Amino acid sequence: MVKYVGKLTVGEVLSWILLILILLFTVTPILFMATASFMDKTQILDMPYRWIPSSSYFKGEGRTFFTNFRKAIMGNNEDPVFLRNILNSLIVAITCAATTVLLASLCGYGLAKYRFRGRQFVFMAIMSTMMIPFEAIMIPLYMVASSMKMINTYQGMIIPFLVSAFGVFQMRQYLITFPTEYLDASRVDGLGEFAIYWKIVLPNCTPVIATLGILSFRNQWDNLLWPLLVAQSEKMKTIPQYITKFSEEKQTDEGAMMACAFLASIPMLLLFFALSKYFLGGAAVYESRKG
Amino acid sequence: MKEILQVKSNRTKAYSIERKQAKWGLLFTVPCLVFFSIFSFYPIINAFITSLTNKQALSRTSKFVGFDNYAYLFAQNDTANGGFTLWNSLRATLTFTIGTFIPMVVISLLVAVLLMSLRKDRQRGFLQVAYYLPAVLSSVVATAIWMIMFDPRGLVNQLSNVVMMTTGKDYKWLVDTNMLQASTMLVYFWKYIGYFVILFITGLAAIPPTIYEAATVDGSSRWHTFWRITLPLLKPTVVLVSIMAMLQCLKTFSTQYMFTQGGASRKPIDVITMNIYFTGIRNGRLGRASAMSIILFLVMLLFTYLQFSTSKTDDVEY
Repeated sequence: MVKYVGKLTVGEVLSWILLILILLFTVTPILFMATASFMDKTQILDMPYRWIPSSSYFKGEGRTFFTNFRKAIMGNNEDPVFLRNILNSLIVAITCAATTVLLASLCGYGLAKYRFRGRQFVFMAIMSTMMIPFEAIMIPLYMVASSMKMINTYQGMIIPFLVSAFGVFQMRQYLITFPTEYLDASRVDGLGEFAIYWKIVLPNCTPVIATLGILSFRNQWDNLLWPLLVAQSEKMKTIPQYITKFSEEKQTDEGAMMACAFLASIPMLLLFFALSKYFLGGAAVYESRKG
Repeated sequence: MKEILQVKSNRTKAYSIERKQAKWGLLFTVPCLVFFSIFSFYPIINAFITSLTNKQALSRTSKFVGFDNYAYLFAQNDTANGGFTLWNSLRATLTFTIGTFIPMVVISLLVAVLLMSLRKDRQRGFLQVAYYLPAVLSSVVATAIWMIMFDPRGLVNQLSNVVMMTTGKDYKWLVDTNMLQASTMLVYFWKYIGYFVILFITGLAAIPPTIYEAATVDGSSRWHTFWRITLPLLKPTVVLVSIMAMLQCLKTFSTQYMFTQGGASRKPIDVITMNIYFTGIRNGRLGRASAMSIILFLVMLLFTYLQFSTSKTDDVEY
């Protein structure tokens, strides 16, 4: 009863058409960014768009291969504040990733492997903070940050994101399955409780550390709202703010904007291609939340 | 007798070791408990208290005004505050949320099912990575790309003209009120589609293949299998993923903010987070912005509760 088109059934052909359409939809804008970052304004908005790179990309007067990238980094006034901003983003994202992994694993370990009074309560209390969106508490946090003179400081940018409830949850779920015999054996060997965490538990949960670290790094790399509040000076701004600036200028330079977006994406893209397993795993771990 | 005593003392010894260990467990959770108390519980209480005052950024004193802020926000008519009212923000947020999360859940579920039915693992792996690529970029980058593609002379108009068989028509992606809202949805949809596909694939992978084999033996068609077997078994995943998608949509900010900065009109896409930002930070009305924060918090609580209660079913067992 099944109809065939060549070797495939009709259903398979239809599903391939849909899958390829979605593929074009997700990939085209990225290719657009990559190609447009070499072009000047008129070429970017040319009809039809030139997908194939050629020497005509750089034909404009005084344009070279690097014109857009130079503009992206140096801005209009030859001030490489871009580099400072990307450094800020790196500092914030790396610090938050590290502290999230450490604090969440410590807390998750305590919740997973020790039976103390009020454990359930502690767990529920931490989980309930997932219901408090950052967007709802940013105004009070901003008031605290400004009264503590933390505007335009790294402390101010980092401290609200030292750890996440989701991170604690993820670590706890992972460590529940950690073999208790290892822990007991280490106790017999005379290791202290903290030493067990540091020397036995932590080195044995690298997959979940990688997943959580990447997740937390990305969240900060992507964060626009909180830096808008606390990072007000040009020097303390982060990369999302820097890119936003391009669209604010009256005369948007599309080429430079795309070059800048491209540069800002390189760290994440490299990380993704090197560790895609943990990215895709990071999405998958959310799934275990229902367990 | 001696033996019994010995056992007893061993027991108390073991018990006290366990108690000592338990103390460590509590100690390990202390840093996080302190953190969440200061940076989650205290601020939400603080937001509520501030929402009952007329606190402003530049004045040091503030007065207790009861629920005046809430009354003011809910009583605003269409023209108050330049049209940037709470009602407008609720409308913009709900339109965005419903217009984004329903297509997102439906299409990513469909794509995940199709991907799982692919015969070759390598094809599936490649497509997963390709679909996930936009999620790797930051929302600001995503918005920057689409902003240029939405230009009157840009790619999206070129494509729309081909699809709709028109020539040189400008679809006003960033100008027309409705199109502007659709544009924000499209950017969000683009960025997160791959992410939700992965979530569904994880859920699908947890369904034991033996169930499908049994269905095939029983002569069930693919369509039938999907509706009668896959979907019911996947229900917990669907519920969870849609809650997540919805909560994420309710908090949207970057795309709308950047479009506005780029010159799009603010009113159609003045989602509640953006209104909080403009009211609290740009205009310095901290009390009023806090009231909006509390409203956002309550809306999110309500949605989560509704979602859980309407879709509550017996847990599936394989």
